[in-house]
Amino acid sequence: LSRINRDVYIAVFLLLLCGVFIGATYDIREIDYGILTPAAWPRIVLVALTVLSLIYLFQSLRRGAPAAGGEAFSVKKLLERYRNPLWCYGLFLLFLLTLDYLGMLIGGVLFVFCLLTAIGGAGKRDLLRHALIAIVMIGAMWALFTYALGVIFPQGEIVSIL
Amino acid sequence: LVLDNIAAAFHELFVLKTVLLMVVGVVAGLIAGGVPGFTIAMAVVLTLPFTFGMDAVQGLAVMMGVFVGGLSGGLMSGILTGIPGTPSSVATTFDGFPMARAGRPGFALGLGVWSSFFGGIISAVLLVTLAPQLARIGLEFQQWDYFSLVVFALTITASLAGENLVKGLIAGALGLLVATVGEDEINGVARFDFGNEAIKQGFGFLPVLIGLFAFSQLLSDLEDRVKARKSLAEGGGVAVRIEHRKAAMTVLRHWTNLVRSSLIGVFTGILPAAGSSISNILAYDQAKKASREPEKFGTGCEDGIIAPESANNATAGGALITMMALGIPGDIVTAVMLGALLIHDVIPSPTFITESPVLAYSLFLAFFLANFMMLALQSYTLRLFVLITRVKMYILASIILAYCAIGVFALSNIAFDIWTLFWFGVLGYLMRIFGFPLAPMILGVVLGGIAERWLSRALARSDDLSYFVTSPWSLFFLILAAFSVFFPKYQADRGKKTWTLVYPAVFLFTLSVPAFMMGGPVRIGLGILLLAMGIRSLIKHHRNGWKVDPAASLAPTLREG
Repeated sequence: LSRINRDVYIAVFLLLLCGVFIGATYDIREIDYGILTPAAWPRIVLVALTVLSLIYLFQSLRRGAPAAGGEAFSVKKLLERYRNPLWCYGLFLLFLLTLDYLGMLIGGVLFVFCLLTAIGGAGKRDLLRHALIAIVMIGAMWALFTYALGVIFPQGEIVSIL
Repeated sequence: LVLDNIAAAFHELFVLKTVLLMVVGVVAGLIAGGVPGFTIAMAVVLTLPFTFGMDAVQGLAVMMGVFVGGLSGGLMSGILTGIPGTPSSVATTFDGFPMARAGRPGFALGLGVWSSFFGGIISAVLLVTLAPQLARIGLEFQQWDYFSLVVFALTITASLAGENLVKGLIAGALGLLVATVGEDEINGVARFDFGNEAIKQGFGFLPVLIGLFAFSQLLSDLEDRVKARKSLAEGGGVAVRIEHRKAAMTVLRHWTNLVRSSLIGVFTGILPAAGSSISNILAYDQAKKASREPEKFGTGCEDGIIAPESANNATAGGALITMMALGIPGDIVTAVMLGALLIHDVIPSPTFITESPVLAYSLFLAFFLANFMMLALQSYTLRLFVLITRVKMYILASIILAYCAIGVFALSNIAFDIWTLFWFGVLGYLMRIFGFPLAPMILGVVLGGIAERWLSRALARSDDLSYFVTSPWSLFFLILAAFSVFFPKYQADRGKKTWTLVYPAVFLFTLSVPAFMMGGPVRIGLGILLLAMGIRSLIKHHRNGWKVDPAASLAPTLREG
């Protein structure tokens, strides 16, 4: 256990991933024609990836655990450090999950507004500024794609109800 | 025939709509290049969704505009704020910022703009003359040669890997794996869909690219909570008037530096993986070494601006030579352009110039035109740049994140592409955190399908694997591939360990074998020359007593641009 570091976990994860994918190559339908079967190239790639992951694992194990004295692991600190990216991912996921209901325009405006507010602050003036930016920028982009490039975005069930 | 092609390309390119779109592209590139945190590759990637609805000439011309604009945009923030807009302009800040602080910002910007312009034009001339010649050689290639060429391109990942070779190679292999997901192009058989209908179609190239590169980059920019709430203008950006006439005359007076730096740029661009992030530093270093007053470098010296700016724009021409003549990307931006060609149903290969001459010559002309546009638009863009520098980083990033989703959806009108963007955005960000370089993964995604296609064609012609080593060109590329994998190690240990003294000689000896196999007086002569150079290198080290210096300084290392 004294040799375990972050890279060891990543290497083990990669090896597991290779295992899952190598197993999945046996589910690929075989064909009777051609010399290079559909599963052959993925297997070549996966063998290379497995060998590289093994080298990575040995390298990581040889390096050993990080020197003592560093900061102790704490979920709170981790959340604090990655606060902004986590907001981005969380809100983007929410935007995706509600896309069918809110549509691209409303969902996009809400996503930008919420993200701006989460990162930039929620003071009275901030809220107004963020709302304005979200409506103008997303509205302009939506209009450009819809009317100039002819893209049909998801309208959202909410608009149909309204 | 060449003139006919140029005339046809001229007709295609010089349409009002295309020219106007290129102007927009150049302006977007100049701005994106100018804002620290936004890379040229990101700007080109984000342009792709817009070009999807355009024809191939229009779309690629716009991307060319963004590429050239981006290379020149970095000098604005580099000179005015001391923060390079892109890694291509790092060396520009060494003398550009001191000159601006000494009260001559307009002259410093002028030097940068005119050096970029002349560097771009020199490389454009070389692109037009060299690319078709190189492509002519490419016409000799058989299926085995093509596959080995792609293998060589994939080993570029080793050079892109930076400090950790294994991590870079893993990233490259992951890219290849991603490219295998979905319906197999050759036989139409579904792979790795895990019962999901949406995955059966495979991951769209663009959502993967935008997710991996742009999405994850934006999140990295927002990571620092204090910086995220700051605007670039707090670094000291000011509006100035560019001194064009005086600067142009000065650049022309320093023509030896200009030509030398441009050639360094073109050569660096031709070398796979060595992009403008390294050429600007190499050119600066050479200009300093060649100068009669090296002590003036770093204090606001004219040559210190001319060298990096001409080199970084010239690199674009070099990278395009490799992409258009051989179908392999010279750097990450050309990897994206290669993907764009695929989207427009153009298969990049050595036959590209002969099979699609109008498109190829349109790209040549677009590269010329983009350089002229950059020159004309820089003064106006400077005002826009100053305005944008007042916007806080989190506002810019949030809007671009939303734009990523809108742009990606517009590609095929399916929401699954936005999910792809999201998951690859997460993957890209985690890879950044864990120290895996993203460029090799992108190369893997771009080249995976091409490699499989050529391997299938080679095996369909003959299942005899010995062709891969008995075909001279295939052997040539496999040798290059083998040595390029170990090149970063060689670069790190050069002059410090004894094996590095033998490495170049062994490389030259091995490379002479396919040259002899090819036959013909020129290639046999080349083989003899390679042998002679190898022997000379060994004799030189033997006379020096195989001395190494463990404390020798390192050459600039390759970085992701």
